[in-house]
Amino acid sequence: MTKEIEELKKLLEESENKKNEYFAGWQREKADFINYKQKELERLQELLSTLKESFTLEILPIIDNFLLAEKAIPEAEKESNSIKGLLLIKKQIESMLKSLGAEEIETINQKFDPSIHEAVEEIEGEEGMIIEEIEKGYKTKEKVIRPARVKIGKGK
Amino acid sequence: MTKVIGIDLGTAITKFASIVNGEPKALDNREGSVLTPSIVAQTKGGERVVGILAQRQAITNPINTISGVKRFIGRRFSDAEVQKELKLLPYETRERSDGSVEVKMGDKWLTPIEISAMILQKVKADAKDKLGEEIKNVVITCPANFDDSQRKATKAAGEIAGLNVLRVINEPTAAALAYGFGKKDAKKILAYDFGGGTFDVTILDVSPDTVEVLATGGEAHLGGNDFDQIIINWLLEEFKKSQGIDLSKDALALQRLKEAAEKAKTELSSSFEANINLPFITSNQDGPKHLEYKLTRSQFDTMTKELVTRSIERVRKTLEEIKLNKNEIDEVILVGGTTFIPSVRDAVKEFFGSEPNKSINPEEVVAIGAAIEAEILTAKDEGRTPEGDIKSVLLLDVLPLSLGIETMGSINTVMIAKNTTIPTSNAQVFSTAVDNQTSVEINVLQGERSMATDNRSLGRFVLDGVAPAPRGMPQVEVKFDIDASGILTVTAMDKGTKKTQSIKVEGSIGLSKEEIEKMKKDAEIHAAEDQKKKEMIETKNIADNLIYTCEKTLKDNADKIQEADKKDVEDKVAELKKVKESDNMDDIKKKTEELSQAIQKIGTQIYQQQQQQPQEKKEEGSSDAPEAETEKE
Repeated sequence: MTKEIEELKKLLEESENKKNEYFAGWQREKADFINYKQKELERLQELLSTLKESFTLEILPIIDNFLLAEKAIPEAEKESNSIKGLLLIKKQIESMLKSLGAEEIETINQKFDPSIHEAVEEIEGEEGMIIEEIEKGYKTKEKVIRPARVKIGKGK
Repeated sequence: MTKVIGIDLGTAITKFASIVNGEPKALDNREGSVLTPSIVAQTKGGERVVGILAQRQAITNPINTISGVKRFIGRRFSDAEVQKELKLLPYETRERSDGSVEVKMGDKWLTPIEISAMILQKVKADAKDKLGEEIKNVVITCPANFDDSQRKATKAAGEIAGLNVLRVINEPTAAALAYGFGKKDAKKILAYDFGGGTFDVTILDVSPDTVEVLATGGEAHLGGNDFDQIIINWLLEEFKKSQGIDLSKDALALQRLKEAAEKAKTELSSSFEANINLPFITSNQDGPKHLEYKLTRSQFDTMTKELVTRSIERVRKTLEEIKLNKNEIDEVILVGGTTFIPSVRDAVKEFFGSEPNKSINPEEVVAIGAAIEAEILTAKDEGRTPEGDIKSVLLLDVLPLSLGIETMGSINTVMIAKNTTIPTSNAQVFSTAVDNQTSVEINVLQGERSMATDNRSLGRFVLDGVAPAPRGMPQVEVKFDIDASGILTVTAMDKGTKKTQSIKVEGSIGLSKEEIEKMKKDAEIHAAEDQKKKEMIETKNIADNLIYTCEKTLKDNADKIQEADKKDVEDKVAELKKVKESDNMDDIKKKTEELSQAIQKIGTQIYQQQQQQPQEKKEEGSSDAPEAETEKE
């Protein structure tokens, strides 16, 4: 009788342990899933901004070339309506960039900052200051999409 | 549980990875890129910057921008190879009192170990940022040909950065680990590592307990940059030929060419030609000049063939050195960004006569392998199962074929889709198909076909005692539940009377592999025609529902509807009834639409008379109900 009780006690203890283990595993799994859903949501948001960013990056060369074109057009021709119309397209792309959350990075007369600027050359001018902008840079609220390419002063 | 990372501390680029949600994953740095340049600088303002920031100011500050210290770490200044490398550097170096190399940054003399530690410190901080936890345990990788002193120096760099370096392992070993080779049986593995600046080949003998490096070879200056340079040179030459202008003296134009070349190279990995457009690249007295060329993949392959051949020759020589036949290599692993180039992959495949392993991103595979090793070591230390290995303990099955029920028009309505992980359950509410229907029959189906009869019936049962009501009114909830051993329980409950009926299907879920494959194949073959059939029936169902609603509306509101409108609806109902017998889907859709508009007119009239009848509202709602309706026997 006592032996039987002992055995049953042992069995009960084992079952108890198993139950606890399984229950803990179940709780963990549930928690994991809830956490996973949250992470997944964050990941989706991240993905969305990555998509926006890579889309912006694809557009940037177009606006770069537009700016180069604008520079190359002689002043006299800029009054022509066809040229004006073409330059309006540039404006359109610029506002599209804005709606994607991209803003231009300030350069001229700013202090060189490698977190948003990339130096391509040193020229005459105040040391460490940006003298000339070669290519526009863009950033969103969170990060730099592309640093601005600049020439910086080398001082006396 | 301690978070761990694996670090691929490269000559030019450093990458790091960790185990995220049980999966090894390369992590982005703070600037949002997986690739961190192995560069440290002291800016003119006296600030220390690491990575891409250091690279961005390099041109204007070459003396204080330190790169490529991996070439000197743990080596002697007097070493002939080191001397050769030192000649190429823009920054100052000298011999330290202990015979090692020192580099000058700002007004300080630093060792390559200290510079590497600065890079690792950034990795540590960025990883903390990303994972939200302090990082302690790491595994760092180094080339297989690093000697003891170089390995010790690498470890010291990690320790200075405040990391607990569990181990310094070979880059190719990490790659093999990432693929899980050697877990069961011994294998001879060749890692073909074509990076941005260097090419390495390593042959390993990997077994469950040991990893032995059999041979190493490579070239210190052969990499992706050489591929870019070939495109740049081609563009320069072509432009000179056609425009007579030499762009190589124009720093800005050269910069644009370099970017365009890199982009074209990347594009050619996925498409067969790349357009290189650089408007306003320069100008002369005739006005602005534009650069516009097309580069095809075959052109590119011809131009770069020599580089690829050189790498394959290195592989051949390395095999020869240990008198190993290429057929004796069990697995070839591609490592490094240059192995994205199709001609490189093809050359490796052709040489070995088999497909190399490339499913893990070759740029990340080393860091991923290091992270796996770090997790295994840490888990062992903490006496737990490595994260990501849990699946082997708790095996969960997936449903091989979809489960569903037969609904109005003999359609198979899927309740649980195939490939769903079990245990799982799903419930959906259905209704009756005719007025005063007092029982519904549930036919449980297994398979992917749209029509009920084309699937396997697992069993059927009848739920009776449904209170008599107009069609669409009773709510019958059908619930499918599969437990972990694949036992399916289907329960149907009349929500009105709470009457419940259920069926248990055991074992039938587990079909043989062949049967499952056959059923899947059948579904694929018949997918198009099934879809058509299903659409036809659904169209007819919609028409049927509308006819029912219209007739009921006319009857219930006889006193409120003008005779002309009534006749219009009646005519249209008759027309729709007629076309419904045919199999002309377009006609049925057209007539349904016409009737729908006519009845809407009446609906408006009724409401305008402000004599709303809630019942009617309900009836209209039922015709729009998305749920299919069960068929009455």
